[in-house]
Amino acid sequence: MKLKRKLTPWMQRLWFYLAIFGPGLITASADNDAPGIATYSMAGSTYGYRFLWLLVVITVGEVVIQEMAARMGAVTGKGTADLIREQFGVKVTAFAMTCLFLANLGTTLAQFAGIAAGTELLGISRYVTVPLAAVLVGFIVLRGSYKYVEKVLLVLCLSALSYVVSGFIIQPDWSEVARQGLTPSFQGDSAYILAVLATIGTTITPWGIVYMQASVADKGVALKDYRYTRIDVMAGATWGNVVSAFIVICTAATLFTHGIRVESAEQAALALEPLVGTSARYLFSVGLLGASLLAASVLPLSTTYAICEAFGWERGLDHRWHDAPVFYSLYLGMIGISVVIVLIPGIPLFSIMWLSQSLNAILLPVLLFLILKLANNRRLMGEWVNTRLQNVLAWCLTGIIGGITLVLLFSAVA
Amino acid sequence: MIYASQLKDKQVWDAWGHPLGQCVDILITHLEESFPPILALAVRDENGVTQFIAADSLSSLFPSIILKVPQKALIPYEPHGEELWLLDHVLDRQIVDTDGRRVVRVNDIQIARIHERFCVTGVDAGGIGLLRRLGLEKPLKALARLLGRPLAAKVIPWEDVATVQQEDPIRLRISREKISHLPPADIAAIINDLDRKTGHALISALDDETLADALEESPSGVQVAVLSQLAPERAADILEQMGPDEAADLLAELPEQTSAQLLDLMEDEDAEDVRRLLGYPEDSAGGIMTTEFAQVPEGLRAEAALDYLRHSPEAQEDEALYYIYLVDERECLRGVTRLRDLVMALPETPLEAFAEKEPLSVDPHTPQTDVAYLIAKYDLLAVPVVEPGSGKLLGIVTVDDAIDAVLPTAWKKRLPRFF
Repeated sequence: MKLKRKLTPWMQRLWFYLAIFGPGLITASADNDAPGIATYSMAGSTYGYRFLWLLVVITVGEVVIQEMAARMGAVTGKGTADLIREQFGVKVTAFAMTCLFLANLGTTLAQFAGIAAGTELLGISRYVTVPLAAVLVGFIVLRGSYKYVEKVLLVLCLSALSYVVSGFIIQPDWSEVARQGLTPSFQGDSAYILAVLATIGTTITPWGIVYMQASVADKGVALKDYRYTRIDVMAGATWGNVVSAFIVICTAATLFTHGIRVESAEQAALALEPLVGTSARYLFSVGLLGASLLAASVLPLSTTYAICEAFGWERGLDHRWHDAPVFYSLYLGMIGISVVIVLIPGIPLFSIMWLSQSLNAILLPVLLFLILKLANNRRLMGEWVNTRLQNVLAWCLTGIIGGITLVLLFSAVA
Repeated sequence: MIYASQLKDKQVWDAWGHPLGQCVDILITHLEESFPPILALAVRDENGVTQFIAADSLSSLFPSIILKVPQKALIPYEPHGEELWLLDHVLDRQIVDTDGRRVVRVNDIQIARIHERFCVTGVDAGGIGLLRRLGLEKPLKALARLLGRPLAAKVIPWEDVATVQQEDPIRLRISREKISHLPPADIAAIINDLDRKTGHALISALDDETLADALEESPSGVQVAVLSQLAPERAADILEQMGPDEAADLLAELPEQTSAQLLDLMEDEDAEDVRRLLGYPEDSAGGIMTTEFAQVPEGLRAEAALDYLRHSPEAQEDEALYYIYLVDERECLRGVTRLRDLVMALPETPLEAFAEKEPLSVDPHTPQTDVAYLIAKYDLLAVPVVEPGSGKLLGIVTVDDAIDAVLPTAWKKRLPRFF
């Protein structure tokens, strides 16, 4: 309180903007969480600059989808799960929540894989660090100190920015980068399709949508101030993808050109060598750890919260164990399953990180279909329903992801 | 028992067995009754035209919806705009369970035939309702019976539920009556569990005092969210109703401009108390003390002191009245007595005969944890806060406020709503 009193007027204004801005920035940082970094590194080192055009498409898609979620939150004041239940009934909700649960379980698993990979880079066994991290995450969440920890972890996440700096030091062939960013290319083999799906799935995530809507609804953004939120969401999504693009550029310029296809965190860290030399592995592992811990604290809790809200089960940490058994079981179950899987000897951590994101993308159309129906419901949204352009773009995206998934299934069968 | 979900999209037949269309909603009214009667069914025919059939022409609802009369003799029902649409407004929505004092989701609605009328009897908020909606009720019930642990339905009687819909002032009034008498902490939890707009609707229906009490029990995030949705005048009224310590804590969370505006709108006396409290750090004795306490001038006898208290506005405001503080004409603390000792003393005994003359006190900057330690060590119910130097009595810290420092309440441990 004392602190706030000392703020000068311009700082107060900054405070105000920071209070309204935020969800967008957080989701933007979350784009570059452990599975995100793994996916972009894998894509850049395997396919060079060829994934850049995809990132351009994804950016447009993410801006449209996230804005839709934020708008629904601002207009209805309700969460995504809440709206799905009220508008579509129990059966559809059960299906949608199963998809959300599977996608988020996969991503939680990827976060713990990120913790394992990050600490093993530092030379500490995952059998020590992963259980420790699980306890730490539980402690942070149950003690309710998440709000403070969030800030620390967000700072650690900033290490993803080193890719941007690194990108300028490497001095890649910018004309080639621009050319590849604007020319679509496609391959039909299942490895390529999985990589495409992972790139989509790590950027436009089911949990990102749910988080965005929930935080805007919870903040109670007045509709007259909604334009600030819109700017925040759009800027956040765009910025997140600029960083992603730099990860692709860095790995493409340093690893792809030398024929190294990233299959471990150790190799992925090499992309930061032009920037910090042999310290690259430390910088890389700090970034991986910060992002993974942040997401591992947020994800299981937000997922359980959404599911319990949809079905009306007691939820929230102010309930004791026997008052909210489903809530706690789901929450601890997600963390427990993730930890056990990561600790299976010899399991390929790096592949888990990016393959889980392909699963995200495969499950995404279910959620997209539902929120598109909601965002076009005039009784719900009034004058804030989707515009024709928003609908065309969003339906195209849903169709494209669905189409790619079908191609994958087809190529797997054939 | 019939359930609303079983009637949804069900074919409606007239007395001759002609299909009329599908049942798309159920209209009820008189929500204040224990068993509100069904007024009419909304039926959509194959051309997509919706008509309303009065409940009087219903012969049966389950297993088939059959009318008593042929299509030609049907008396149409005209909705007057005050009906509650069960499938649209209640099913799958949040509702307040006033007996369990919490927000639940409506999985199904129970309907029964009472005195030849179809009435709503309760709301199914349990797992059986969910299973029924998923089409799994029968197999799982059979399985549970095989395992020797039959599933029991969890139906909340209609008289124990309160619907909260923002667009609906009449029903909000009924709900307000059901909700207002709940303990403040439960009201706060209910507001917090509802989605933002519905919570807001409930807030506007509650009176100032109920809302102020509920806010005192809420986590600061909820307090700020609630207050910022109110018109400034009402927000100021609510703050006046709250204890000055709680009001100060809340104002400290708001942006400076807003809190200054609210302070200006508050009555001078209340505002001054709050302003003074705002000057102390949050985690000090000054930050958690209340300025509402009972004091009497020194030199009185027991009977006169009791009489003084009865007419003292400060004593009226003191919620606990554990201790009576003796002050001199400069409002300096001179002694303290327990209310028990004062009541038990003979009428003519001077206060000084049984009062503690050098009471334990703290200064406003004493850390909250130290205050809690003192209170625990000496088994006190409250400790006076005294201005260093002058010895002027500023306020008191009660045991419940001090204990929050060492043992955060469940509310304070609670996370922001989603993460």
